[in-house]
Amino acid sequence: MSFDLIPKKRLGLYVHIPFCLSKCAYCDFNSAVPENDEFMGRYVSAVITHMNNYRDAAKEYEVDTVFIGGGTPTALPKAELIRLIKAIKKTFNLTRYAEFTVEANPATVTLPLLKQLRRIGVNRLSFGMQSANNRELKALSRRHTRQEFIESYRLARRAGFDNINVDVMFGIPYQTFDSLMKTLDFVTRLSPEHISMYNLKIEPGTPFYKNLKAVREVCADEDTEYAMYTEAIEFLERRGYPQYEISNFARHGFPCIHNLKYWNCEEYLGFGVSAHSYFNGNRFSFISDVKKYMEALEDIETDIPLTDEFDPVESRERMGEYIMLRMRLVDGLDPRAFAAKFGVSFEETYGAKLKKYLQGGFMVRYNNGCYALTPGGMFVSNYILSDILEFDDLCSYSGSF
Amino acid sequence: MSEFIDKQKKIRNFSIIAHIDHGKSTLADRILEFSDTVAKRDMEEQLLDNMDLERERGITIKARAVRIDYTAPDGEEYILNLIDTPGHVDFNYEVSRSLNACEGALLVVDSTQGIEAQTLANAYLAVDSNLEIVPVVNKIDLPSADPDKVRTEIEDVIGIPAEGCPAVSAKTGLNIQDVMDAIVRDVPAPTGDPDAPLKCLIFDSVYNSYLGVVVYIRVMDGTLRAGDKIKLMSTGAEFETVEVGVLDPFGLRSTGVLSAGEVGYVTASIKSIGDTQVGDTVTHAERPADEALPGFKQVQSMVYAGIYPADGSKYNETKDALEKLRLNDAAFTFEPETSIALGFGFRCGFLGLLHMEIIEERLEREFNLDLITTAPSVIYKIVKTNGETVDVDNPTNYPSPDEIDEALEPMVAASIITPTDYVGGLMDLCQDRRGVFIDMKYLDTTRVELHYKLPLNEIIYDFFDALKSRSRGYASLDYELEGYETSDLVKLDFLLNGEIVDALTFIVHREKAYARARKIAEKLKENIPRQLFEIPIQAAIGSKVIARETVKAMRKDVLAKCYGGDITRKKKLLEKQKEGKKKMRQLGSVEVSPEAFMAVLKLGDE
Repeated sequence: MSFDLIPKKRLGLYVHIPFCLSKCAYCDFNSAVPENDEFMGRYVSAVITHMNNYRDAAKEYEVDTVFIGGGTPTALPKAELIRLIKAIKKTFNLTRYAEFTVEANPATVTLPLLKQLRRIGVNRLSFGMQSANNRELKALSRRHTRQEFIESYRLARRAGFDNINVDVMFGIPYQTFDSLMKTLDFVTRLSPEHISMYNLKIEPGTPFYKNLKAVREVCADEDTEYAMYTEAIEFLERRGYPQYEISNFARHGFPCIHNLKYWNCEEYLGFGVSAHSYFNGNRFSFISDVKKYMEALEDIETDIPLTDEFDPVESRERMGEYIMLRMRLVDGLDPRAFAAKFGVSFEETYGAKLKKYLQGGFMVRYNNGCYALTPGGMFVSNYILSDILEFDDLCSYSGSF
Repeated sequence: MSEFIDKQKKIRNFSIIAHIDHGKSTLADRILEFSDTVAKRDMEEQLLDNMDLERERGITIKARAVRIDYTAPDGEEYILNLIDTPGHVDFNYEVSRSLNACEGALLVVDSTQGIEAQTLANAYLAVDSNLEIVPVVNKIDLPSADPDKVRTEIEDVIGIPAEGCPAVSAKTGLNIQDVMDAIVRDVPAPTGDPDAPLKCLIFDSVYNSYLGVVVYIRVMDGTLRAGDKIKLMSTGAEFETVEVGVLDPFGLRSTGVLSAGEVGYVTASIKSIGDTQVGDTVTHAERPADEALPGFKQVQSMVYAGIYPADGSKYNETKDALEKLRLNDAAFTFEPETSIALGFGFRCGFLGLLHMEIIEERLEREFNLDLITTAPSVIYKIVKTNGETVDVDNPTNYPSPDEIDEALEPMVAASIITPTDYVGGLMDLCQDRRGVFIDMKYLDTTRVELHYKLPLNEIIYDFFDALKSRSRGYASLDYELEGYETSDLVKLDFLLNGEIVDALTFIVHREKAYARARKIAEKLKENIPRQLFEIPIQAAIGSKVIARETVKAMRKDVLAKCYGGDITRKKKLLEKQKEGKKKMRQLGSVEVSPEAFMAVLKLGDE
């Protein structure tokens, strides 16, 4: 037995399952209702091949987080999901206590499935509940009801999951300030370890977008959303779920380690269509077309490119990214860590602009010296970040010279 | 000599005058088709209107002239000089100079509309210039045409015989021969002594980068040859002529000589169009005329506005563009100015609102510039308590009330012709714009001519649009400057977040201040995007706030989800936002997009 004195580099893994039983009205993620089980099996095989291709590149790393998302991973035939998970464990060096999350939609899980997932190493479930109000759920075209969610959640607990996230949305059709608070009350009474609360953004290409005017009419206005957001932060804190990121809340010791990698500029590899990676100083993503993705991996001779975007992150840009991402966190940005990382002073570089946000109550400087956005600041963080950051911080110059 | 007299007898110098859209340019095209030099297939529609903008707007901005060699049906050969006139009230003076170069004018009247304000104004100008007026009733192809009624109207209202005058369709070409016959028969041949001291009337000039200024002239007396030394009588400036010639439909044709009665051009390596002012007299340096031709006036800007590049770094481009436009437009003036809100720009002077719009549009189109134009202003004359009188063309420079002894504003005599149905609404409009009713004349049973005295500053905003909307487009307007009058004026400032935005300041009559302040404050509120801080908007006279609005603070601008580690997307979003921000104008501590700024300045119908 030998000890590595130098700890191995850590890596997060993401696998995208682009299948759903039906498409929700607000969703612009890469997902579709699959043709049949065989088709999904083919996709899983392609992902496994793809992961194998990166086996050597990832040899130096130990994987401490895995996140299987979608789409709806639990829409896969049970055997295929199990096959995928086993392949992940076989291909990469998972640490013993790796956080292993699978997204699940209420009403797509059974006790045997959950039990088996738990048995083979999945230790975190993420439920897309969105709302505890049936009218709101229907407007989102979700397939489950409040009652079905409760049942699925109980099954997960019975199967032994002791780390569960519940997704909640606000700003959705028919939701009022009070109905959101009722949903939050409902969720916190169930006592999950983690709650994500996302603001609805109507994206182009979604059914909501096509009926933008009508949808907006039944959604809360900006001022109400602001009240929902800031009040929810306080409410969840009182219930034992302090906020740690713009949209994330967790009981003590249960933030999502995988998501934190995104905000901490740590490395992760994403497999499957439209999956994003940050690896070896490059950000890249894979193509979004499921059929092409499979063909590219099934045929070695193929000339179908798998990579969609490829973006080497320049050092200056990395600095902008760092700020952009750290500022999503309640812990904020530590100017000492910043100086150590980039060799320049955060305050000197951005001080003049920080001042007005500090004075305006959008940002705070903690006693420990870290800078962070207040809840109100988080809710206008695009505005603040696009003001603070310079173009050089944001743009990549690769290819333009 | 008799040879000369024979030649002079065959010349016809004439203009076409009309109300806008009555078909002046189309008729000009039909007449041109009778020229031996223009084959029909070469005809581009409305050949005389050279600028794209003119063709699109269907109006003539700059006067142009053309010589037509015409063979009458009886075989006689004539030289017809058609001098086109700008068809808008802003260019009254230029019209009058063009008319002075002629012996006759075709007065085109739309047979479906009848006489309009500019028909009358132009007809009076022509009468003042002792022109023979040949009425032409146009658009008889239209079902609603009533040529006989319009003929009667011309006789009753203008007092010139119109019975049997040509009734044509310039569009279809119907009866154009009648017009040609009338020109030859009714327009007198020019007179003038080719041996007398030289007197040429300048009626237009254009800048050409090869020839310098090309001066369009009508020789009244004497003979001008290439190589002659000439003198401009208003300034005494002397030049040596390089080229002398006539104006063919497709350009300049050098002839080396022009004599009394002829219309043509002269070049003399003149660098600046400012040296060749419309209405000035060209004479020989060595044998000058005793006196200049009458009627010369220095062109004066009546309306002023600040023009700023929307992108501050485009200052030099803007300056170059203004200089180029100025080369061809002596009536347009500009000088640098700075605004706290808008940075470096120019205070520009225009003949009127249309002139201003045209310059703006040409700057944007021909020079590809994004501009911010401040609200137009007139020149106020302020008698200060220390006895000094100052002209104020920029509201920002308006003195404080305790320094003002008396404030005067320019007035105009306005004439409005409208169907009787709209008289009530238009009188309300004039009343509302501080108009003083002078009189009202019935042109016939259905139409009325209204005379009002109005402050110019009430006209330059949106009067014309309001006039049109209250009369369903039927009313027409003409006005003439009529001196200055004492007025109770105040300076109205706008404050964003407590800071005055100088570019929004304007001068308004005290009684109108409240309504205007409220209106603009509302518009500002609509057009300023929510920002992180609440933005108070205030309108103030001195330190007294008279209107107030608030732009609520922006509450939400967040990307809640960064799914699957898609950082690139978030970065792109911020980049886009950053780019949008770059275009914003900082007004005080408030960001306003140039578009929003313009929307505020364009008041719209009140």
